[in-house]
Amino acid sequence: MEPVLLASGLVVDFGEVRAVAGFDLSVGAGRSVALVGRNGAGKSTTMRVLAGVLPPTSGTVIVGGVDASRDPSSVRALVGYCPDVGGLIPRATPWEHLQLAARLRGMGPAWQPRATDLLERFDLAGVADRITSGFSHGMGRRLSVLLAAFHEPRLLLLDEPFDGVDPLGVEATMEVIAAARDSGAAVLVSTHLLPLAVEACHEAVVLKGGRVVGAAPASELMGDDGRDRYRSLIQ
Amino acid sequence: MTSAFAQLRALLALRWQMVRTPGVRLSIVLAGIVTLWLLSVVARSSAALEPAALTAALALAPAAFLGFGVLAVAAPLSSGGGNELVPPDQLVGFPVRPTTQFLGGLALAPLNLVWVVQLLALTAETAYLTIGTSLLRGALTTAAYVLCATALGQAVAWVVSGLRQTRGGRRTVGGLALLIAVTAVAVVRAGRGRDLLEHSPTRFVVTAISRSTDTGRWALTTGLLVALGAVGLLGGAHACAWALRRPGDLGSLRHSRPVRRRPAPGSALRALVCVDRASVWRAPALRRGGLVLLVLPGIAASSAAVPWSTLVVLPGLVAAGTGLLFGVNAFCLDASGAVWLASLPHPPALVARAKTLVLTETVLAAVTVAAVTGSLRSPGSPTAAELTAIVSSALACTAVVVAICLRSSVRRPHRADLGGPRDAVAPPGALCFASVVLAAPAAAVGMVLESASTTGYAWLAPLLAAPMIVGAVLVVNASLQRYNQPLVRSRVVQVVSAG
Repeated sequence: MEPVLLASGLVVDFGEVRAVAGFDLSVGAGRSVALVGRNGAGKSTTMRVLAGVLPPTSGTVIVGGVDASRDPSSVRALVGYCPDVGGLIPRATPWEHLQLAARLRGMGPAWQPRATDLLERFDLAGVADRITSGFSHGMGRRLSVLLAAFHEPRLLLLDEPFDGVDPLGVEATMEVIAAARDSGAAVLVSTHLLPLAVEACHEAVVLKGGRVVGAAPASELMGDDGRDRYRSLIQ
Repeated sequence: MTSAFAQLRALLALRWQMVRTPGVRLSIVLAGIVTLWLLSVVARSSAALEPAALTAALALAPAAFLGFGVLAVAAPLSSGGGNELVPPDQLVGFPVRPTTQFLGGLALAPLNLVWVVQLLALTAETAYLTIGTSLLRGALTTAAYVLCATALGQAVAWVVSGLRQTRGGRRTVGGLALLIAVTAVAVVRAGRGRDLLEHSPTRFVVTAISRSTDTGRWALTTGLLVALGAVGLLGGAHACAWALRRPGDLGSLRHSRPVRRRPAPGSALRALVCVDRASVWRAPALRRGGLVLLVLPGIAASSAAVPWSTLVVLPGLVAAGTGLLFGVNAFCLDASGAVWLASLPHPPALVARAKTLVLTETVLAAVTVAAVTGSLRSPGSPTAAELTAIVSSALACTAVVVAICLRSSVRRPHRADLGGPRDAVAPPGALCFASVVLAAPAAAVGMVLESASTTGYAWLAPLLAAPMIVGAVLVVNASLQRYNQPLVRSRVVQVVSAG
């Protein structure tokens, strides 16, 4: 079966700095993969490229059979992306974010019940009409995850979705990941929180110096042995 | 703890280090040299003046000094106290004294095109006033006045900023502003504006400069200005500390107050425009700056009862000021949301087009209000040529400013939060540069069309404005195409969303 995400030979250079140095990954439908690694390993840059925000210096990204370099707009329609930091327009409300996303994604009138349901699940219904610049970090993260999952994308990209999020928020995010997987979407979660990555995903891919240095079923990275194995890969 | 002056030195050094491009550093140094050269040229210009022009210039001296005083209060007021050397969110980990912040605002006051232009005007007036007497003494008094007005202006702005932290304070400030506005309108309607200007306190300064050989009077006035300046410095530092430590309810009110839901916009462009419009009017600094631009220039022009032909220049100045509000860095409105926005499926230029529309409507609104308000007391009825020139000027200046702003936004983006009352869309030096880049062509357009209005041909101004508008539209299109390039767009997104 054709993978939902196929990235091959991705390279991203910022001037003389090579942030991503030949990234290859394939994620099938209904699968979730954790992208783990130390700070500066190239996780967020890779996620930005996969989300179509940053053009790669070289390499290809194919989502749902569509080449991102040829038809970026169609790829963006298939992807839901939660950026690593912020990702919210500071003086717009959550409802206005949802309204804008629904309009740009061409969602029909059914978006409103879906939006209301998600806001309640992420405990954001009470602040749906307040501007996001007053939000705590955790609330902002929850809203970013919600926006990524809003249109039920074929590829869900979550960059540091658990960072600073309380247990209820983590639970809601786990539910979103599980629901996406169940619906046949592919999920890629970038995080430095190994226990949560292991819990959320089938497989973990370790990034170092902008390239994949190891991959293993998430279950193998559990416990003390798993942690030791992970440490040996990232050092 | 390190003294405030030592902290100021460190922050200035940091600010200078943050200017990474050698070309920009060279431009800043050159701009400083050119300003000093202009001041020296203006100071020696009195010999070239005709006697009639000299008399007219001298009659305007008290008003020119008063104008500088008004600017010294209005400029820091419009920026919520004073400009900041480094955004406060980047300094939370450092024990920066309020006095340092106050001195920083004072140090940045000259990075304002209007301040520099007014200083040139005062220098020229000083040169004319001191013909036959001591230029050095006159210059010392003028320097003391400039320092005194700037320090007192910053102090007043910090007091107002502190008062506005609470609901009661905001009512007091609003009431005072209303009182001043009503008084100004009453004075202007009664035709006493000229009397007021002629009896303004600045005439004592003017007299001290023109009779600087009267050592007693000169020393007393200059000494008084220095003393008042010292009061402004000390009082301003205290006012700044008071305003910053005052527990305010403004931010919490803004963040906790729900916003009324609006119906879903009919198109993607309309949805983006709605979000951008909200981003402008929900930013305290932009809202305050916008209101100042909507009100002040028109009232100033109206109170001076400027002739219809002179009114042609007004749109250019107002348009340039409005462009500085957010236009020169329009993509910063999205801040970190720019990354999320870039991941949504839409033609990339749509985001830029929405910002262009919001900028155009804002500039056009400010220009229209200023032109209409400014014309209320213009003598007589306008000729057809004057009327077409004013309309042409409003349209051409708006187009030119929007074109320059969009070009700047795509080529020189900056990260800006705009959440606080003193946040600016770009660093102080970049804003000063942008003010020159905007004001020069906008003023030139205004002057060309003003000349057209005096010819009596109603068709001439639209004919001259048409190619300017076409040129501006071409620049806008070129900027939109540039933004369409993935590398350019991703750079803009990365810069505005950083941090």
